[in-house]
Amino acid sequence: MTANLAAITGIGSVSPYGPIAGLIPPCAVEPESITTWKTAGLRRAFLVKPFRPADVVPGLKTRRLDRLSAWALVASSLAIQDAGIDMSRVDRSRVAVVFGTGFGCAELTEAFFESAAANGWSGTDPSPFPEGLANAPASHVALWHGLRGPNITVGSKGFAGESALLQAASLLRHGQADLAIVLAGDTLTRAVYEWYEAAGLLSPACHNAELLPETGGFVPSEGVVALVLEPAGRREARTYAHFISGRCAAGGNAVETIRQMFGGAVPGLTICAGNGAPCAASFTSALAREISGPSVDIVPAQAVAAGLADAGAFLHLIFALSSRPRSGQVLLLGTSGDGGFAALLLELP
Amino acid sequence: MVTGVGVVSPYGVGLDCLQEGMLAGQCCLAATKDVYPGFAGTTAAVCGLPLPANGADSRYSRSDRMAMVAARDAVRNFDCESTALGESGVFMASTVAGLSEIDPGIAEDPAAWYGRGGLARAASYPAAHVAEAVGEHLGIRGPRCAISAACASSAMAIALAANMLLDGAATMMLAGGSDALCPFTLSGFSSLQALDPEPCRPFDQHRKGLNLGEGAAVLVLETLAAAVARNAGVLAVLRGWAMTNDAFHSTAPQTQGNGLADCMRLGMEMAEVSGDEIGYVNAHGTGTPLNDVAESKAYETVFCERRRPIPVSSTKSYFGHCLGAAGALEAAITIVAARCGALLPTLRLTDPIESPSVEWLRGEVRREALPLAMSVSAGFGGSNSALIFARGFGDGEFRSDRS
Repeated sequence: MTANLAAITGIGSVSPYGPIAGLIPPCAVEPESITTWKTAGLRRAFLVKPFRPADVVPGLKTRRLDRLSAWALVASSLAIQDAGIDMSRVDRSRVAVVFGTGFGCAELTEAFFESAAANGWSGTDPSPFPEGLANAPASHVALWHGLRGPNITVGSKGFAGESALLQAASLLRHGQADLAIVLAGDTLTRAVYEWYEAAGLLSPACHNAELLPETGGFVPSEGVVALVLEPAGRREARTYAHFISGRCAAGGNAVETIRQMFGGAVPGLTICAGNGAPCAASFTSALAREISGPSVDIVPAQAVAAGLADAGAFLHLIFALSSRPRSGQVLLLGTSGDGGFAALLLELP
Repeated sequence: MVTGVGVVSPYGVGLDCLQEGMLAGQCCLAATKDVYPGFAGTTAAVCGLPLPANGADSRYSRSDRMAMVAARDAVRNFDCESTALGESGVFMASTVAGLSEIDPGIAEDPAAWYGRGGLARAASYPAAHVAEAVGEHLGIRGPRCAISAACASSAMAIALAANMLLDGAATMMLAGGSDALCPFTLSGFSSLQALDPEPCRPFDQHRKGLNLGEGAAVLVLETLAAAVARNAGVLAVLRGWAMTNDAFHSTAPQTQGNGLADCMRLGMEMAEVSGDEIGYVNAHGTGTPLNDVAESKAYETVFCERRRPIPVSSTKSYFGHCLGAAGALEAAITIVAARCGALLPTLRLTDPIESPSVEWLRGEVRREALPLAMSVSAGFGGSNSALIFARGFGDGEFRSDRS
């Protein structure tokens, strides 16, 4: 069953739980008050606590980088460590990096606008410009680990993470890479937070510490998760899950498309529903119920993963795997919130 | 199979006007002063961009609008009754995306800036918005994917879309890129001292930097079976593609062009062609001191065993560097070259970099049959991409039913 499949053999993350190699132990995390910028009244979010990347990955220099690049470097290093791969023994021209993000390096993009606001467009500070490009995190991962295979930064409304995993699996399938570091993540900046706020997307819990994060809307989150994806079968590898197939579409009959992935009947299954677009958890759960029969478990998204919006899929996947699903197959469902969907079918070892 | 090409360029809308302008040696670069106070340089802008249906909506950026117009142009010959378009997918590239719609006021007080009308405009900021705009505009219900990999982005969008066709994710993919001129990128490249204030001179010993341009290009890619089933014309065949990374520096290319050379070799391996069979390379050729030297070394590495030097030109000398759209626009130009048997020269190339394995095309357009041509792209972050196109079916006729 695992022949020709891709296996997830390493996980690393930088999230509100901190920098962690492997699965995240199941425990709740509370939204924190934002102190990075001045706010009128309480503003809460799931935030990554400040840490020194060099304390986690010795020798890492991240001073001029966007936090997204720094976290990508830490998460990728932890994932490689978790996979037990000695990169010095790998043909690094055959290793791909695929990064999924909604907003890219928003922090340094905003810094460049700040520089223009202060000095005019003719007096901008050059340093944030190239480091603010969306592909900077993936290129830093390649640079740090010496990875010379395809280096791709993708986005997709509601499911940047799922899209990254699909592209990485495709590179392996077509022999364009032998191993892929697949990442998904975003940072929370003032401009992003206040955009969510102005668009009316936030949960009342962002402004009221007494309320639960699941109270309507969503509580924004931040972080980067990295997965090591490689062909199944490496003897010393510990496999978290096999990637079997996946689909994403902007519309059409999601139920029918997903049933086709199973060849018609849907077997015993765990559906991880609710990642993707903010406020879309109920849509995804409804879709999950429609797809499924009575023998299906539905694992709802945790608020901290839903808050990561487009890039939340891998955090959601970690939580789903940490919850020890009982069936052999897991369907990770995402939605764009307007009829679009992503469905990734995984098999547990 | 490439069964459609849509273009928005400083020459106007459509492949025909791009082809006509470039074959006539028309340069679209012009002195520019009004982008922001203090800027004086050379750019190439798209004038009179037609508004697509619903395109006036403030949630669409200029990059979105150019992409929508290019995509509509790419499918202009489609049968309205066909369901193929609705079932297809989109893979669009952009590095600027909605940055053109945002001004420094957002940095001072985002909430106030959103309140002054910025909310909808800022929604176009993610690169994925360009793919969404194209998908919505054409009613595409398949996968809508986006890539942002600096200046190699749209060549990589074409490569990844081709992978998706092989995967069966769709039977038709619209793939390309779109990027608008805006103060953000002009100021950024200016602050890095990468701009030539005069029209650029790629591969010249006296080159001083790049000029920025804008535009969009969208290729319709489909499987042979799908093209035949809908009796589609075949403009070109995408024979091979490859992507690599230098893993060398954030902004500078690897000095010997090793990553780019590996990329070209992998593309030729996939296409199952030798260096002797490639008739023309449309280069990345930005005109910056570092890029052009590294790139010429890559050609030396890959083509040193050819029987005659490889003909190479940079068409950024016609309308500048269109960033995330450059790879797709240059793919379109490479298809034009193969279609017309026309090797386009680099403009203003008087004193080329010494490179014995390269024939730097300059002067007049050279006419010769061109069965296979390659388009090469590179970008910040060390990304490289190579696309190899074969001429479409038939000589001068591009209908698959007449091949």
